[in-house]
Amino acid sequence: MAGLPLLPELVRQLFSRPATNAFPSRHLPPSITGFLAKVARGEATIHPPIPTPPKFRGKIVYDREACIGCSLCLRVCPAHAIEFIPETKRVRIYVTQCIFCSQCNDVCPKNALHMSHEFLLATEDRYAESQIVE
Amino acid sequence: MSAEKAKKTVPYTVPIGPVHPALKEPVMFTFGMEGEIVRTVDFAPGQTHRGIEWMGMRRNPVQIVHLTDRICGICGIVHSLSFARAVEQIAEIEVPERADYIRTILHELERIQSHLLWAGVAAHELGFDSLFYLAWRVREQSMDLIENLTGNRVNYGIVQIGGVRRDISDEQRALVEKGLDYYQGLLDQMATLFLKDSTILMRCRGHGILSGDDARLLCTVGPTARASGLNMDVRQDYPYCAYGDLDVKAILPPPETGGPQGDVYDRIIVRLLEVGQSIGIIRQCLGQLPAGEILWEPKMAKLLSVLKKAEGEGIGRVEAPRGECMHYVKMAGKEAPDSWKVKASSYSNLMSWIPMLQGEQLADIPIIVASIDPCLSCTDRVAVTRNGQSDILTKEDLTRLSREKTRRMMQ
Amino acid sequence: MIETLPALLAGAVLVAAFSIIIGLLLMGFDRIVAARMQARIGPPLTQPFTDIRKLLAKENVVPENAIPWLFNLAPIIALASAITILFYLPIGGFAPVLSGGGDLILVMYLLTLPALALVAGGFASGSPYATVGAQREMVTMIAYEFPLAIVVVAIAWRLAAAGISLPFSLATIEANPVWGLVGPLGAIGLLILLIVLLIVTPAELSRVPFDTPEAETELAGGILVEYSGKNLALFSLTQGVKTVAMASLVVALFFPYRLAAIAGISGFAGAVIDLLVYIVLITLVAFISVSVIRVAMARFRINQVVSVYWIYLAIAGLAGLLLVMVDQIMGVV
Ligand code: SF4
Ligand code: SF4
Repeated sequence: MAGLPLLPELVRQLFSRPATNAFPSRHLPPSITGFLAKVARGEATIHPPIPTPPKFRGKIVYDREACIGCSLCLRVCPAHAIEFIPETKRVRIYVTQCIFCSQCNDVCPKNALHMSHEFLLATEDRYAESQIVE
Repeated sequence: MSAEKAKKTVPYTVPIGPVHPALKEPVMFTFGMEGEIVRTVDFAPGQTHRGIEWMGMRRNPVQIVHLTDRICGICGIVHSLSFARAVEQIAEIEVPERADYIRTILHELERIQSHLLWAGVAAHELGFDSLFYLAWRVREQSMDLIENLTGNRVNYGIVQIGGVRRDISDEQRALVEKGLDYYQGLLDQMATLFLKDSTILMRCRGHGILSGDDARLLCTVGPTARASGLNMDVRQDYPYCAYGDLDVKAILPPPETGGPQGDVYDRIIVRLLEVGQSIGIIRQCLGQLPAGEILWEPKMAKLLSVLKKAEGEGIGRVEAPRGECMHYVKMAGKEAPDSWKVKASSYSNLMSWIPMLQGEQLADIPIIVASIDPCLSCTDRVAVTRNGQSDILTKEDLTRLSREKTRRMMQ
Repeated sequence: MIETLPALLAGAVLVAAFSIIIGLLLMGFDRIVAARMQARIGPPLTQPFTDIRKLLAKENVVPENAIPWLFNLAPIIALASAITILFYLPIGGFAPVLSGGGDLILVMYLLTLPALALVAGGFASGSPYATVGAQREMVTMIAYEFPLAIVVVAIAWRLAAAGISLPFSLATIEANPVWGLVGPLGAIGLLILLIVLLIVTPAELSRVPFDTPEAETELAGGILVEYSGKNLALFSLTQGVKTVAMASLVVALFFPYRLAAIAGISGFAGAVIDLLVYIVLITLVAFISVSVIRVAMARFRINQVVSVYWIYLAIAGLAGLLLVMVDQIMGVV
């Protein structure tokens, strides 16, 4: 239509499937946090399933056995998210502080650090169990 | 003109900001109005200062490069790229060719997503939400590509001092080519939707004019300068990364649309054409992608020791989607740099708001403000202190103020 | 016509409840179709009800430099006057509750009342955004009154020219659908007038592209910026009721047919059919003049709003009127 070039597209869209998703579930749950807790326990699934790209950098995982306590990762962490515990000679990672750069993964001589594909990490407590990796 | 003085010479003032739906980021405007007409303009940036340079001075360059990813929420690569280039200059690091090409490809993908994002915001500021949804929907394709190449949607973490951290595989190459075909097919449609729409034409043509002279005097950069007819583009004038091998010309509003007039409409045209240009550049890069290493030094411990010894000054300049972005770094043989200065592109463009807004209507403020694609959190490097009174509120201040207010309300 | 006072009151309550419910449903419908046209899922149909319920539970905040009595009175007047309009308009097969008392001219005056209440509320808020919004609302009102008047006058004139008495009465218009009186030329004229009325509707309802008084990105909600809680709920209800009123006016002027009577169905079934047809018709009007127009355009500047109404629509309206007149004269000759 002259002057309103978007109109035909709008009419087309009226009769086609919406581009947005009903996320994180098909119907609004009574409590979103409750629902996500359920997802974490494996009692519910996220809708629609969100594929993560091959090189995705999600929540960090730490192989305590492999670590030798060289503390190289501390030197490259931009966010100061890694703490060295002298008593155990191991590290502790604060996920709330981590900026998911994966630089510690690159530097670790023992390959003790990896990025998982887990991305629904928000909580209200900085020091919740899920937010500290050690 | 100061806000106090403005009050005396105009009938009434309208404050816009620091937080207002017309602004996507905080900045404080004070408009002196006469009816619906804007007579005087004053603005105060510095509402979203985060002290990122301060953080940088306490970290080594390998750490900073990932901090720079977070300077802007849209340009994930320009800041890390210009910082890395400054440091590479100081430490005399030569970036492998393949890494330069990969940097260029991501740089241009970023331009595509940033310009589409802007197009959506502009439509929203005009009250045209359908076009906003459409623009942001097609933007997703470029976000998916970036996510696939770098791992994450916004904070890419791809640039390292001396190269890039991830290579482009053959499958990814095919994906990028598919994405480019998608955008190639879309270009004409986007041009029609934005440029042939009579309501957009009515609102944008002849409004928010920045003359070529003003643009030069105010040192504007990027699409804002080019829409006013200044033939400048860092990629053309001072080629970096792979741009020296490529054919890049600054894009000016073409004669078919009446040449550069420096209005909001021209800024739309320039950005749309630049999306097409970026597609071409990525195609060229993929076509002549050289083989080889992607990092100057894959062992980070060694890289760190080289950087620790480095001494000197360096300047990294890149053409961000909003214009030239510049990082200045001074190293003095220590872990952390001696000095680090970030000049985001919007810093050069903000002053052009004043000639653009004067004499326009209140209704045009959102679109004109948005037309330079301001990125304020990237720009803010200082917070203002006046008469010994600090305008910076710390977390403690805010907590105290909220407690006091609650007490007042309970009485 | 309803004679006794209790019956009158019952009718009034019924109309008020009906208009509020249908108004909110229409708003929900608009949000869904607009969302679908923008390739979004959109909220459920009952979202406006949820919104209103939530607003009613919230506290009213009166700004410090507002004029409290006027600030609080405006939403009540707005809703009351919006409902009053519907007392004078036929709903479905039912005659207007107050059919004896008023005509089109009264309806036109009543239509300005909610807008005036809004303006008063805006000025009373004491916020620069609301003040600018209120000024714009006044300008918009003046702008669209003219084409609206042309449409109403054209129809009444055609009825008067046909020798029908009381041409401004809605009962007369319903008894003599205008389409039946005109020839092909007049029909084209009426079609133009219908389009003019459909374009006046979004301004009456403050919707994009004529939502300059509220203009989210410029004035952050403009005239309503200071309103919250119950007061805002009342204004939202007003918005819904006004949508019903405007759509009913369009239907009353241009589709005043009682299908049930034509099909020979009477009694309860006939009333139900008429009511359903009416609801479908007003939904259609709302779809065209609210949803489609608002998703397909950018917002106008206030001076553009004025020129659209005073120049383009006024010319279109006058052309429609002229065609109807020429048609009548030719018919007589
Ligand atoms: S991913 Fe980056 S921010 Fe997170 S712990 Fe590792 S180095 Fe630190
Ligand atoms: S770099 Fe690896 S081995 Fe060394 S402390 Fe960190 S996790 Fe442990």
